Amino acid sequence: MVTIKINDRKVKAEEGSTILENAQKLKIEIPTLCHHSDLSPFGACRLCSVEVKTNGKWQLASSCNTPVEEGMEIVTDSKNVYEGRKLAAELLYYKYPTTKAVRDVAEKAGVAVSKDEKAEGHDCILCGLCVRTCREIVGVNALTFQDRGPGRDIDEPKIEFDPNRCIGCGSCAYVCPTGYVKMEEEGAKRIIWDKVFKMVSCSVCGKRFAPEDQLRYISRQTGVPFSELAVCVDCR
Amino acid sequence: MNNIAFSSWNGKVIDNRKGKASKAADIKIPSFPKGEKVSAMMGWNGLVVTDGKADVLSLTLGYLREARKVSCGECSVCMIGIDRLLDILKNISDGKGNAADLKEMQSIIKQVSVNSKCSFGQSALFPVSDAVKYYKADFLALIKGEKKIAEKEYASAVTAPCIDACPAGLDIPGYIELIKNNKPVESLDLIREKCILPGVIGRVCTHPCEDACVRKDIDEPIAIRLLKRAASDADLAEGGSTLKAPASEKEEKVAIIGAGPAGLAAAYNLRMMGYGVILFESLPHAGGMASVGIPDYRLPTDILDHEINLIRRTGVEIKLNAKVDSLSFKELKKEGYAAVFVAVGAHKGNMMGIEGEDQGYEGYVDGVDLLRDLNLGKTIEPRKKVVIVGGGNVALDCARSCARLGFKDVNILYRRSRVEMPASDEEIEGALEEGIIISYLAVPVKILEKDGKVTGVECTKMKLGKPDESGRRRPIPVKGSEYTLKTDVVVAAIGQQPILPLSKGKEKIDVTTWGTIKTDSTTFMTNVAGVFAGGDCVTGPATLIEALDMGNRVARSIDAFIAGRDITDEISFADVDLKKQRGRGFVVSEPAKEVECMAITKRLEGFDEVEGGFRPALAMEEAGRCLRCYRVVVWE
Repeated sequence: MVTIKINDRKVKAEEGSTILENAQKLKIEIPTLCHHSDLSPFGACRLCSVEVKTNGKWQLASSCNTPVEEGMEIVTDSKNVYEGRKLAAELLYYKYPTTKAVRDVAEKAGVAVSKDEKAEGHDCILCGLCVRTCREIVGVNALTFQDRGPGRDIDEPKIEFDPNRCIGCGSCAYVCPTGYVKMEEEGAKRIIWDKVFKMVSCSVCGKRFAPEDQLRYISRQTGVPFSELAVCVDCR
Repeated sequence: MNNIAFSSWNGKVIDNRKGKASKAADIKIPSFPKGEKVSAMMGWNGLVVTDGKADVLSLTLGYLREARKVSCGECSVCMIGIDRLLDILKNISDGKGNAADLKEMQSIIKQVSVNSKCSFGQSALFPVSDAVKYYKADFLALIKGEKKIAEKEYASAVTAPCIDACPAGLDIPGYIELIKNNKPVESLDLIREKCILPGVIGRVCTHPCEDACVRKDIDEPIAIRLLKRAASDADLAEGGSTLKAPASEKEEKVAIIGAGPAGLAAAYNLRMMGYGVILFESLPHAGGMASVGIPDYRLPTDILDHEINLIRRTGVEIKLNAKVDSLSFKELKKEGYAAVFVAVGAHKGNMMGIEGEDQGYEGYVDGVDLLRDLNLGKTIEPRKKVVIVGGGNVALDCARSCARLGFKDVNILYRRSRVEMPASDEEIEGALEEGIIISYLAVPVKILEKDGKVTGVECTKMKLGKPDESGRRRPIPVKGSEYTLKTDVVVAAIGQQPILPLSKGKEKIDVTTWGTIKTDSTTFMTNVAGVFAGGDCVTGPATLIEALDMGNRVARSIDAFIAGRDITDEISFADVDLKKQRGRGFVVSEPAKEVECMAITKRLEGFDEVEGGFRPALAMEEAGRCLRCYRVVVWE
């Protein structure tokens, strides 16, 4: 355990835990967009910024991926913190003005959100939740960031989808905060990222419950025969 | 750029606009290509104007556009911030702006600088802030419609501390980012643009990039070398990708003498330009010093062979056991070669200048000869004790090889101290772990023998004097400190030189007093037109990555020579402290990830590779430590 100071409160914190985790424990509200407690922190949205004292100087730091250290001093509610978060939210809103998740955080951060536009956009805001879920939870790596950079001539960054790897589990659609990742089901078909998957019916109740590719993947990973997996959760 | 009208370089403002633009200022800015008259530049570190009439408004637009290309778009503030700045500028120049827009620009710049995730976002926008602040009158005139922004194409360059430190200038943050994003094969493609032996370099590079890494001053440098190896390992694990074929074919052929790193790099690059390429290699194995100078425990043969085979498959012909004794460019020209590249390396060990070294005693060997014999599969019978003289990687490689061959007592004598030792830290640490004894400040003065067999060396202790021309402290013998060291074998490893001359008569190629080939520093052409030289035979023994870089450059130069073009000079950041940035955000301290090495007890059993590579997941984590310190500069 280490001792840290958040907003002048001295508290004990677990070694290796993040500022965000400790703030949440103390019921201090910190906005997040790219964070999920089951995934590795990413630090992309810059909305969770707090001030940390380093070498006698206060600096903005993203709380989601900054681990606490003995004696660390943190402020979550200063003018600088609010300004930093507000501008990050403002820029996100500038880029994705019709996406509801963005409008919500922007409004909360004090940005004047125009009511003239409707919140019907489903932009990809590059939060990386789908990429991390696919890699860390599903273990499939079907989604990756497309790298921009010198000489790479990519105008707008986006998420790349590898249809050969995707098993159609739908975790990316579940975790996506903006509705950009769409999953549709039509009869015996499920469509994600434009790839069509065949759904398997439960061998007991007959309900369609999972894509065949996903069950085959689980079978390969666990060694459990495919036939034994073709039973839905309710009938197991 | 001596006459400064305005400068905010390094955040230090020099403003001579009211007076004459004559005050020369000692600001360390990039050196621009020779012959280019630069009137203004905007770079990560500031704005520099020499011509009072320079158009700072358009320059700002040009800079922001280049900066946007480098911003990765991963965090919310940097790329969108730049987009917003560009939109504001457009709005203003369309006559729809007002003075409040300038305030908004400054507020965006401030927040991007303090809240960006990486070094690029934290440092890139300071010059824009300077322009808005110190050229406010121009921006206000733009708002009023009294000035216009011109659509101009600016010269631009992108670098980073690591990129500039790399002799071959690899886009290090670029390939690391691709690894971070789980694209090792794409990363390898990017590496190969400038380093055609990635698996080799990923194992044995001296990695000056890591010394330049900004992270070094925070916790530990990024494991750049091992990440390059990780890209190569991942590619091999998937079966190994191949190199693309040349897009088009050219009629001309180029002959390359020596299939070492410089020769191979030039061969590959020339082949990609469409030239027919033939490599003449005197040894039975291609790879030069990478093949016969580095033992397998550091660089397994199959890794090198795989990479050479890929180059071969692009259509490069390699003739082995083909020694070119007397080079005649005239004859080669008759045979249809449009140019020749001499890259014969430096394979002859230097003499120590001591009594007994030239007597052919049994037990006296040259370091490079020992390593060559070993790599070519000759049997070397171990004796009890060996003394190796020298402090470079050849000495260390000899020592560690002898330990593996079964010598019981392996000693290195080095005339200076550990600080001055040129061998890489990894090698020195490896040797010490393996029980090798390094004696510093000692030098042999005489080889002792009995019946033509080495029995020992007479040595003198040294002390360090003032630095010599190499910048290292000069070793001075301590009088009366002579002592005798008994040994069965003495290995001299104190440097190498090329085996010359290659040509005689009228076509004689000029050499330096160091015994290396003399070339033009820009074109790499020798005194004989059409004959180029590079690699160790020009520089003296240097690193593999330097040889690859020369090979890359020589290929461009040969292409220009054949096409009858001049080689253009490039911007240089040699005088600039690239580590410095005007704003540094908060960086989470996180030590470098480590790879596993073979247990010390196992190592001496053979020549199996000692160092392991990163597993893919760990490579991604290590890559995530990169601060992406790209620096952009535009000028006119």
